[in-house]
This record gives sequence, structure tokens and C-alpha cells, in this order.
Amino acid sequence: MQSDHTAYKRIKDISRDEFILPGTTVCAGCGGLEALRLAHKVLGNNVVFVNAAGCFTLLALFPYSPFKGSWLYTNMASAPAGAQGIRDALDILIEKKRLRPEEDLKVIVLAGDGSTYDMALSATSGAIYRNLDFYYFCYDNEAYGNTGMQMSSASPLGAKTTTSIPDEQSPMGTKFHKKDIFEIWRAHKPPYIATISPRHPVDLSEKFRRSMQFKGPKLFIALSPCPTGWLYDPSHSAKIARLAVETGIWALKEAVFGETIHTYIPSKLKPVEEYLSVQGRFSHLFVPVRQDETIKKIQDEINYYWNHTEIQK
Amino acid sequence: MIRIRFHGRGGHGMKTAGRIAGTAAFLEGYYAQDFPVYGAERRGAPITAYTRISKDRILERGIFSEPDIVIIADESLINDPAANPLQGVTKKTITIINTMVNDIKDKFSILGIVNTIDATGLCLEIIGKGSAVSAALGGAACRIIGIIQKDNLINAVIKELKNINLPEELIEKNVEVAEKCYEILSPIIIQHGEDIPDSPIETITLPYQYPTMSSPSVFSSGNIIEKKTGGWRIFKPVINLEKCNKCWICFVYCPEGVISLDESEYPHIDYDHCKGCLICYEECPVKVITVEREIETW
Ligand SMILES: Cc1ncc(C[n+]2csc(CCOP(=O)(O)OP(=O)(O)O)c2C)c(N)n1
Ligand code: SF4
Ligand code: SF4
Ligand code: SF4
Repeated sequence: MQSDHTAYKRIKDISRDEFILPGTTVCAGCGGLEALRLAHKVLGNNVVFVNAAGCFTLLALFPYSPFKGSWLYTNMASAPAGAQGIRDALDILIEKKRLRPEEDLKVIVLAGDGSTYDMALSATSGAIYRNLDFYYFCYDNEAYGNTGMQMSSASPLGAKTTTSIPDEQSPMGTKFHKKDIFEIWRAHKPPYIATISPRHPVDLSEKFRRSMQFKGPKLFIALSPCPTGWLYDPSHSAKIARLAVETGIWALKEAVFGETIHTYIPSKLKPVEEYLSVQGRFSHLFVPVRQDETIKKIQDEINYYWNHTEIQK
Repeated sequence: MIRIRFHGRGGHGMKTAGRIAGTAAFLEGYYAQDFPVYGAERRGAPITAYTRISKDRILERGIFSEPDIVIIADESLINDPAANPLQGVTKKTITIINTMVNDIKDKFSILGIVNTIDATGLCLEIIGKGSAVSAALGGAACRIIGIIQKDNLINAVIKELKNINLPEELIEKNVEVAEKCYEILSPIIIQHGEDIPDSPIETITLPYQYPTMSSPSVFSSGNIIEKKTGGWRIFKPVINLEKCNKCWICFVYCPEGVISLDESEYPHIDYDHCKGCLICYEECPVKVITVEREIETW
């Protein structure tokens, strides 16, 4: 199936080709891997990943690679700079006719939220400013996963991480708000930004397909349910991804040159409790004492978002 | 000195098992040392933990390759070259394996004394989950060495599981599991292996290599398929193809991409690589996927 020409309308439009081979050492049930696997089906084989240190470094562990295409490993702060180097090299090779245009590669940064929201943000801002032609795939597991689930600026209010353990002083766990990386990117007005979820494979595929028409920076923030860090049974990854969207905590949207539209609007938002109560990282909000105030705060923020944002479809 | 080496997969809790043994020995009045070693891998990949217990101060440091006791949390590790749990096992070694396979000693030609225990089964029965077997195998280790009273094992389990923020009722269940394992097994007299000779310190000088030689580059594509991750499973998903409606849901949601569709669109699972996350089981809209306890992966 040639995905480039398919408009994704139903689940059976998804390509049957696999681009990431099994055998990797990421955790069973990793939601981020699921999102990347689906994305790769749309992007096709001519890609080079520029990976910032994180869980997904474990996809390609020497001497093994799950990819048919190429992969470059960088440290956490510099994947966008690595992408610039590769893009420039490819452009020069094509110009000097040492690479045929059809052999060109899509340059894709692959990074966790720690790099995306924190460490590589300035390098990313620079790359967007220079209008670098690249894709940025952030698998957002809302913590520094690979080093043991420390809090990142993507960790949501009220979540327990290994550096925001609920105690008497801050019983809610993380007391900061998740940084709005979508809006930070949007302020740069790049051609394409989208949020995606592994439980919405058609929406995800369609967004990648649409983004491919643009030259310049393209961002994808993939909600990445993480059984290891979010403390739930691996079999629930898809269910949790669905609840994130149905409760409105993860809005599915895209912004083309800064104009936002929502690609899926839940007809009626489910209470956020349904999402929180199935994950160990929020269990302290329910036992031994129910922290009504924090749960309400989280709910109010979601309500505020859906009532006060201009939601266009 | 008693040297115990624990082998498991990330998520089995072997670091905690090693700590439970160390802490229990400490509470009993011994000197103890315990620590894990793992690579960059995540949950499911092999890890090793080490515990030293001694009446005297322990001056030895680092990992050891000649254990008195080897504890293996999952029999699929035995043939995994990345884990190599039988390394250094001699006629004097005691090996405890969490497994339901009976003739495991002969099957893998394991030297020394081999005891098996169905720790996963016990955890499933008492805790309701079979993934973490730390208390079970920590309890097993404490019993085998014969110098630790049950009270101190229980206190060690509580202390270590509190440390990792487990809720109280889960700790209670883990204590029950540890006690059960303690009761099932009997102490074994440990015969120490050869004394490890002091090795002279040797300085190794690495010569300069060109980056093309010395950087970790992989030139073949997709070779990870050679690594089998099927041994990670505790449960195995089985599709009843007669009732499958070919909706593609399991194929689309399997994170590993190990479900393929044949020409007539029926799904098939590659068991060499299925990690047993059971997302397919949860998501199948007509519930035609069932789960079976994995007994012998290979
Ligand atoms: C500059 C730098 N600092 C620290 C590290 C150590 N390190 C490796 S992976 C990692 C966690 C990365 O977290 P995130 O980006 O959220 O990705 P995840 O691990 O969740 O996949 C850290 C801190 C590093 N590789 N580079
Ligand atoms: S820790 Fe989470 S994000 Fe990282 S590999 Fe495991 S499941 Fe995936
Ligand atoms: S159990 Fe998980 S890895 Fe195995 S086939 Fe099902 S979804 Fe895929
Ligand atoms: S999800 Fe169930 S019904 Fe659908 S293809 Fe898979 S096994 Fe068949």
C-alpha cells in the first residue's frame, strides 16, 4: 500500500508494512513505541532519525537496530542541531549530484519530553527560527523516563514522580503545571504542529500525511502512556490513551502556520477522575485521603481549556 | 562469606530481592552488602543483583563471578547470553529457579544443587499479579542460607517495600508471599567454592582507533529481529481465529508490531517477539483473544 497517496479515513487504511522490527528492549506496552510505529508507517522508509538520549535510545542498542533506515544518536540538548547538520549534508549532496533527489531522507528528531520541554528547547527554538526542514517527534511520557521517572516540565499537576513524591509538605506530588509546548512552538509560527495519541491511529496517520506537504519545522507531540512510570498494567496503555482524549486532558489538535484547529472534539467530556484513578502515579489523590481540591483543580483546568479556547473544527 | 547472585528482568524486582536478603542479614546481626547492575535497558531486559553476607567486615567490592547461590527469576533467562545466569556455577553452587518446569536441572545441565519454586504462581495467587517476585525470591534466599529468622525476613520485606512506596495492603500481601517461600524451602548447607585468588592489577592501554572503527556504528538494518523478547511474557495471548472478525484492531494497537495479517486478513502473533503486554487482549472488540499462563517460552 502506498501510504503517500492515501487519505486516512478508517483503520483499514493503515499500512500493513512494518518499519520498526520487534526485539527492542523498551518496556512491554510502551505507548510511545505504538505512536512511533504508526507514524513510521506514514513516513515510509526514507528517514533518518536523530535521537536525543532517553528511553528510545534503547530502540537501537549496539550492535542491533530495529530500523530499516538510519539513526543518529545525540545527547539530550542537541538533537535539533544534529538534524540541522544532517539536513545540510543531504542538501549539499543533492546539489552536487552525489545523491539523487529521490534518495533524499526525511530528517526526524526523536526525543522524550525531558529534551523537548526542557533541555533542547533553546536548540529547537533556533532550528524553528532558521526554518529547518525537519520533523520533530516528541514521545511525551511526562517524566525523565530512562533515568528513573524524575519530574520534567511535562509532568502534570498532581502526578507522583520519583522527584515529586507526595509528602506532608506537598501531598499532591507535582505542584507545577505542565508546560504548554504546543503554544511555545505555535508562537514561532512553523508550518505544522500537532498533538497525537496512539489510540487515535487514523487521526495520527492523517496528521503525518498532511504535514508532509510542508517544508520547514513540523512538530508532533505524542501522548505516550507509560506503564512503568505511570504505574499501571501494560495491557491498559490503549485504554489510558483513550481516556486522556475523552476526558479532554489531551486535546487532539493541529496548527498550520499558527492557526489552530481541533481534529477531534469529545461530544461530552468524561470526568477526569476516570483518567486519574486508573494510574498509580495519581493514586495518592484518592487514598488514603481523597484530595478533592487537587482533583477539582485538574478538572477546572480542563474545563477552562475547553470553554475558553476558540475551538474550531 | 556468602555470595548470592540474583538474575531477573527489569520489573521482577531482583534489586529489591537482593536488598531484602541484605537487610534481613543485617537485622540478624551480620554485615551485608547489596547492589544491582543493569545496562541502559528498560523493564523486561536482564538485570543482575548481588548480595554479600558475612560475620566479619566485608572488604571485597564489585561484582562477583563465583556465587554460592544463584537465584533466577525467570527460566527464559537461562539461555539468554545477555544474562548468562549460570556463569560461574560449579558443583558446589545452589541454584534456585522460579519456574514450573520440572526437569530443569537436566534440561539445562545445571551443576550443583537445583531447587525450583513457582514464585510467579504464588504471587498470582496471593497478590493477584505475577510480575514482581522480589519478596518471594528474597524470602527464598533468606531461607536457603539458613541463618535468618523469619521475623527478620518479614521486617526486611516491610522496610524495603516501604522504601519503594508500595501501599500498605500490597506490602502485607508481599510479606505473606515471602513467608510462604520461606516455609516451602529448607536450608541447604553451603559449601564454598574455591577462594577467589587476588588478581594482580593490570593496566590496559587502548590504542587510538579511527572513529569509523571505534564508534559503535551498526551497518546492517533491522538486525534486532535476532533478539527474541518472547521470554518476557508471563501470559500469552491466543487468538481464536474461528471467531475473529478481522477488524485489524489487535494488529493496529500492538506496540511491538508482532501481529501480522495474512492474505485473508487474519491476525497472527509472532511469539518469538510478543512481550505479553496483553493490549491485544484488552482491545479486541469481540473478545476472541484469551490468555494462558506462559510455562515454557522456548
Ligand atoms: C545533557 C544530558 N544530560 C543528562 C543525560 C542523562 N540522561 C539520559 S536519558 C535521560 C532522561 C531523558 O528523559 P526524556 O527526554 O523525558 O526521555 P525519556 O527517558 O522519558 O524517554 C537523562 C537525564 C544525558 N544523556 N544528556
Ligand atoms: S519507561 Fe515508559 S516511555 Fe520508557 S520505554 Fe518504558 S513504557 Fe516506554
Ligand atoms: S501481547 Fe502485546 S506484544 Fe503480544 S501480540 Fe498482544 S499487543 Fe502485541
Ligand atoms: S481484534 Fe480480535 S476480532 Fe479484531 S482482528 Fe484481532 S483477534 Fe480478530
